[in-house]
Amino acid sequence: MRVLVVEDEKKTASFVRKALQAEGFAADVCHNGDDALAAAKATPFDVIVLDIMLPGRDGLGVLKQLRERKNSTPVLLLSARGEVNERVEGLNAGADDYLPKPFELSELVARVRALTRRNGENKSTILRVADLTLDTVAHYAQRGGKKIELTSREYRLLEFLMRSAGRLCGRMMILEKVWDYNFDPGTNLVDVYVRRLREKIDADFEIKLLHTVRGSGYVLKEQP
Amino acid sequence: MTIRTRLALWYAVIFSASLLAIGAVVYSELIVEQRAKATKHHEENVVDSDAGEDLTQIILLYGGSAIVVGLLGGWWLTSRALAPVTKLTHAVEKIQESNLAQKIPRTGNGDELDRLTEVFNAMTGRLDGSFNRIREFTLHASHELKTPLTVLCGETETALRDEKLSQPERERLLSQLDEVQRLTKIVDGLTLLTKADAGQVALNLEAVKLDELVRDNFADTQILAEPQQIKVELATCDTISIRGDRHRLRQLLLNLADNAVKYNQPGGKVTMSLRGAEDFAEFKIENSGAGISPEKLPRVFDRFFRGDSAHENTIDGCGLGLSIAQWIVSAHGGKIQIESAPEKLTIVIVRLPLAK
Repeated sequence: MRVLVVEDEKKTASFVRKALQAEGFAADVCHNGDDALAAAKATPFDVIVLDIMLPGRDGLGVLKQLRERKNSTPVLLLSARGEVNERVEGLNAGADDYLPKPFELSELVARVRALTRRNGENKSTILRVADLTLDTVAHYAQRGGKKIELTSREYRLLEFLMRSAGRLCGRMMILEKVWDYNFDPGTNLVDVYVRRLREKIDADFEIKLLHTVRGSGYVLKEQP
Repeated sequence: MTIRTRLALWYAVIFSASLLAIGAVVYSELIVEQRAKATKHHEENVVDSDAGEDLTQIILLYGGSAIVVGLLGGWWLTSRALAPVTKLTHAVEKIQESNLAQKIPRTGNGDELDRLTEVFNAMTGRLDGSFNRIREFTLHASHELKTPLTVLCGETETALRDEKLSQPERERLLSQLDEVQRLTKIVDGLTLLTKADAGQVALNLEAVKLDELVRDNFADTQILAEPQQIKVELATCDTISIRGDRHRLRQLLLNLADNAVKYNQPGGKVTMSLRGAEDFAEFKIENSGAGISPEKLPRVFDRFFRGDSAHENTIDGCGLGLSIAQWIVSAHGGKIQIESAPEKLTIVIVRLPLAK
């Protein structure tokens, strides 16, 4: 998996690259829009992380140019402005995801990973992690043969975590996908819901599946 | 007594006095003439006294109507003269922080009041400039903070990935990360409010089923309240649809619910209700808890104001929640108010206009 990071702020570019490399991605860095277009032409990338504010041609310009060239590489936009309209504008221009600055690194990595899986997303109707299964047609969850009662929100949370099993899910991402919030509500809603869900799926079992990564988010997986 | 009444009275006094003076002159001239005639024709004395009575009547009649005309005329004249002042007063009354740039229309006839309007416009113009500079400064400051915050957050997270870290080192970095995230929330909130002040945040208006949002929020609040065994109740929930920004309204409800839980007591209570009135929807949320003292109550919507200083360190949040809630309500053309007293229920009432 190869990622192009387009970011003019050198320090940010550097730790984003390091984090992606640590997660097993190959990462290239460009510091301006024109270099990014040239790089995207020369190399097929799996994901492009694109800052909107760039010297010269800005991120949205680069994105439009890419799409005009029929380049459909998934694009994650970064922006320090973080306006709702900008998000809509970016998505309309053909971006696949949008992350306002300041972002958490784990959140960024999780989103990049989600974009690489977008094409080959787990579309099966029965999701499974260890002995926990979720039937997305019957809306039925069970672990070790025992039925788990879930409210609709808990169900959506579990489905999201199971579809991203093994991957870190940031709080922002959970709020977006499960609650459809595109703002930070400034509450510990996610943490409280996860705690409840954990009681339902993990409390009676030796092997814990739902893990907290402090300061970053949650991950559902068999090994701790 | 208003200037208009005073001027009208003075005008009437001067008008009548001058009329009386003219009258007196005419009267004395007539008397002198009469006496001159009297010396010539003694036999006409009877007729003369009649003429004197006629004269008194004429003076009373004309003098009285002259005073009335003087009063009315004075009233009309001063009203005319002072109309621009009244206009100016109304225009000035409408001036607020948000419309400082709006100029008061000048009469353009170059009189004293026109000059006053001009001076006034210049003053509000200068005020507007200062406000804008402060707004821009805050906006730039919060914007400039974002890059270093991104770097700080990223570097800390990168450092945390090092598996050779000792536990105390890890704890230190995690605590640092918590603070960076708190700072991020403050900067985000500040950016939003500053942009809202400058009128740069547009609402995404659509038909919104308010009752659905309230029910959703009720479910979330129950979960938020559970760890402290706080009982959450939804008393009424009328079916109401309004034109609004779905995300902002959800943010508003969650904000208020979160406060109702945070400033509560273990085993306490939160009650919410949604009622429809003739032309507005009323959302009400009550919570038990320490309450807010009368001197602090008027300031709870102020930015970075904390209700209870004793709790300040135990309750997290960026101190902007209620300011943001207030902005969301007023952006929808509604009103928000809060009632509370120490050891009493705290009640927040939000009224949003219904779609016409």
